[in-house]
Amino acid sequence: MALTEIAAPAPMGLTPPSRVQIARTKFLKYGFGSPLAAAVSVLVFALLAYILWRFVDWAVVHAVWSRDNVDQCGHGGACWAVIDARHRLILFGTYPFEEHWRSTLAAIAIVATVLLSCIPAMWQPARLAVLWVVGFAAYYLLMEGSLLGLQQVTTDGWGGLSLTLFLFAAVVLLGMPMGLGLALMRRSDMPVVKWFALIIIDTIRSLPLVTTLFTAAVVVPLFLPGWLDGDKIWRVILAFALFFACYQAEVFRGGFQAIPKGQVEAGKALGLGYWNIMGRIVLPQVFRHALPSTINMVVVTFKETAIVTIIGFFDILASGKTAFGTADWAPYYIEVYLFVAAIYWVFIYSLGQYGEYLKGRMALSER
Amino acid sequence: MQSAEQLRTRVKRRKLIVQGTILIITVLAVWGAVSNAQYNLTRLNMTSGFAFLERGTGWNYSFSLVERSINDPYAYTLFIGLLNTLFVGFTCIVTTTIFGFVVGTMRDARHPALNFIANVYVQIFRNIPLILQAVFLYALLIHIGGPRQAISLGDVAFLSGRGLMLPGLNVSPWVAVAMLGACLALAIGLILAKVTLWRGLAGWLGGSVAMIMVMAVSFRPEGANLLSLPELQGLRFRGGVSVPIELFALVASITLYGSAYIAEIVRGGLAQVPRGLVEAGQALGLTRAAIWARIKVPMALRSIIPPLGNQWIFMMKATTIGIAIGFSDLFYITVNSISQSGQTLELILLLMLTFLAINYSIAIFTNWLNARLQLKEH
Amino acid sequence: MHRVLAASAMVAASLMAPQIALAESATVKQIEERGTLLCSGHNGSYFGFVEVNDNNEWKGLDIDLCRALTTAILGDPDKNQIVPLSWAQRFPALQSGDVDVIIKATGWTMGRDTEQGLQFSLPYFFGGAQLMAHGDLGVTDVAGLEGGVICVEAGTTIERLVANYLSTEGIEHDMVSYESAAELRSAYLANRCDAFAAWGPFLAVLRATEIGDPDAHVILSDQLSAEPIAAAMRQGDEGFVDVVNWMLSALLIAEEEGVTSENVNDMAANPANPRVARLLGVEPGMGERLGLRDTWARDMIAAVGNFGEIYDRNLGKDSPYKLDRGLNNLWSHGGVLYAPILD
Repeated sequence: MALTEIAAPAPMGLTPPSRVQIARTKFLKYGFGSPLAAAVSVLVFALLAYILWRFVDWAVVHAVWSRDNVDQCGHGGACWAVIDARHRLILFGTYPFEEHWRSTLAAIAIVATVLLSCIPAMWQPARLAVLWVVGFAAYYLLMEGSLLGLQQVTTDGWGGLSLTLFLFAAVVLLGMPMGLGLALMRRSDMPVVKWFALIIIDTIRSLPLVTTLFTAAVVVPLFLPGWLDGDKIWRVILAFALFFACYQAEVFRGGFQAIPKGQVEAGKALGLGYWNIMGRIVLPQVFRHALPSTINMVVVTFKETAIVTIIGFFDILASGKTAFGTADWAPYYIEVYLFVAAIYWVFIYSLGQYGEYLKGRMALSER
Repeated sequence: MQSAEQLRTRVKRRKLIVQGTILIITVLAVWGAVSNAQYNLTRLNMTSGFAFLERGTGWNYSFSLVERSINDPYAYTLFIGLLNTLFVGFTCIVTTTIFGFVVGTMRDARHPALNFIANVYVQIFRNIPLILQAVFLYALLIHIGGPRQAISLGDVAFLSGRGLMLPGLNVSPWVAVAMLGACLALAIGLILAKVTLWRGLAGWLGGSVAMIMVMAVSFRPEGANLLSLPELQGLRFRGGVSVPIELFALVASITLYGSAYIAEIVRGGLAQVPRGLVEAGQALGLTRAAIWARIKVPMALRSIIPPLGNQWIFMMKATTIGIAIGFSDLFYITVNSISQSGQTLELILLLMLTFLAINYSIAIFTNWLNARLQLKEH
Repeated sequence: MHRVLAASAMVAASLMAPQIALAESATVKQIEERGTLLCSGHNGSYFGFVEVNDNNEWKGLDIDLCRALTTAILGDPDKNQIVPLSWAQRFPALQSGDVDVIIKATGWTMGRDTEQGLQFSLPYFFGGAQLMAHGDLGVTDVAGLEGGVICVEAGTTIERLVANYLSTEGIEHDMVSYESAAELRSAYLANRCDAFAAWGPFLAVLRATEIGDPDAHVILSDQLSAEPIAAAMRQGDEGFVDVVNWMLSALLIAEEEGVTSENVNDMAANPANPRVARLLGVEPGMGERLGLRDTWARDMIAAVGNFGEIYDRNLGKDSPYKLDRGLNNLWSHGGVLYAPILD
């Protein structure tokens, strides 16, 4: 009896339910399956709808959009006029006004570099390295200007979103090789090398980023002879890169652990040296395994750049604060913060979603 | 053709040389840095040493759990900074862990509305820098207005741009600190006694309330009420417990941000619990709540604890953004001491050692907690 | 003491043959080699003293003094670089060489002069700490702030002055301190504090222009201090201190003698008296004694004007703030500013 039931052929014309159908069935079953569940659903969605409606009412319906209508601000709607009037300050800081096109191009160079790095065809250490060095150099040449025969703007004049992107790119570019170096040292069988890396990694990871950066900005010059001081911004970038490297070293360590010991031994048996084994067998796999966590680190780094505002850099958060720092614009701080938050959110969310997508893809390929 | 023996000695020698070089370079770098610092200090005529710690500071700051005055020496002021950092850190660890578990459970739930709202929350708060959230929230809060514009919460609590005024127990600050210490000690005691999760939590809550009540009754000032309620007098509220808006904004923003991360950790942990175990619970006729409390959470904890520990350490470090909103945490006190006393090297050294000590302690605690939870797997 | 020594050394040098080489300043040499002077800016605006205008350019009294010093040393007012610094960072930045000099509304204190290894120039400005409160509180003096919240900028002398004053007067209060002036201001405007303490001239500037309706705010009558404001340099370079002192003195002497940016070239061509002739380098020796060009003061006055012009442009009658000269006038006009003798 049971056998015949199981063996019964499916009725003709019955296709498997589509994803939309499954989602709808699930939604109805779990969201409205019992009176309690239904009540919760109604309550939550009503609340969300109310919040959304209030927000849209404030941010769109009653909003003032243009700086010409600023006198209409302050009547129950958002005053986007502040963004209209001050967006250049937020995006470019105190960079010379007529040179803003350079700052724009430079920022685009960094964004393009990040976007290009997301294409699988670029995933070879050599290509990535070239891409990042070129992108970074393009940024620096455009912003600094003197080498291209443009008006020179020193790093003190860089600010806003461009400075945030610069810090981000510089930290990742410098931190990545440092992190790999630390990870290799951490795995070394030479005790001095190993402990050297271990102490650095554990110490930096235990300290808040802002203390590390503050130390680099303020304290380190006391320890250095004058000719080694350099610019404050480069000291901070190096310290930030070291911070990145210490976390990234742990990410690489996870990648190393995923590789069976037998492979290294096989390499040794073939008579390959350390650098050959590492470069040809181990590292390519490590990079692949470490990719999702690396993207996570990159996302975290982008977020953490906001910390530099504490040690006096004019990044997008600081320039945003300046944007509503005059009596005229002081009441519209919410609009400015939302604008800055939205910029961060778009960057961080899309990078994060890309990381999730990669993780999913790699999980599939490993099945 | 070399023999294997020769090859081995050569490799050995090369390794010795590499290590020796690194050692020598490190020693040289440290020696160079120290002698440079000494040279710079004498050149700039700066005094070094820790004698300044006994000098009075002469400045005031936004928050302290215990009494302070502007005549306090630097050592005591730094100690208050440490106390503030630990207080905010531990408060955030507790609030974030609880809230993170709630949101994480919602993320794991099948109910579409709960799932959706939790997802929206995580995606918003995880993808905006913490410091931006903190300054934004702080700006929103201080715009509520002065004490006269305070929002009344049932006439026993008030929220104004100055702070949150709550009804409080009539005890001195040191007794309040002792109460917190007692609760912490009870928690550690219960963990050491290997009580099960839920019984332990219930015991901790009950025991803490009982201890606090006993201490409140026995240490209250002669003839005073047990409770003290906030009341508007002149420019400020008097009575009750005053939570300065800086503290409130800092704890709230760290909690909102950290919970989004912990929610993801909890969700991941809950998702890893084998379906078979849940189905076994269902077969036994356990309710959904019982399955969650007795099967899913205890099982998930094993994979949750290590990342949770990292998140706790992050929380401790995150207190340093207090400086952006005027909260007197250890970093703020240190930076201010540097500009007021000029003893940069000494103060930075103290700050770093303190953070190393705190964070290594947390790491050791979570490792131990983890080991203890793993042992239960027979 | 060393100031006296330096002064007498100068006198002695001028009495002797002019070819006696004076100690050359290492800092000046470094600035000349670099071709730029590194000055302190502010992270944000400190109105009237250091601020950023609509074209993203630095201006203010302190910035103009930096430009004057740049002209004196390098001959061109634009060859400087303004490094934005918070209050807390200014001394470490000076000591690490990130800036050559701090001209940033900085008070001369004993601690800074001795333990922090700084060297101050002659004071170029006098101002004391005061408090400003919301007008609707109805207070006029500090005693009325009993039980209130007072905001102040972290790491400044004012922070200590206020704490000291309030504790001496026995006024119960809460104190919140912020790392930057901008945060302090927005916190005060948002009513986080009943009053905030700052330097008197700064408060007057703020009240006059930057925070909306001036009548909504009162500057309380108590004067908490009278601070001499001076440029700060690293200790151990007497030559550089001399340059900065005489840069300031020359601006004052120019004002006394009526030499302005407009008439400086006519005056140089046709000096009214020997003092002007010496000042403008018509009579040789003015430059050599400091290791500079003979015309340094003339170039400087041509570029930025005399002290009165600088004051009027940034704080006084030609500025939006319209601040009275008050103490910061020449001694001959009821102020306390005076220059050493130019011989």
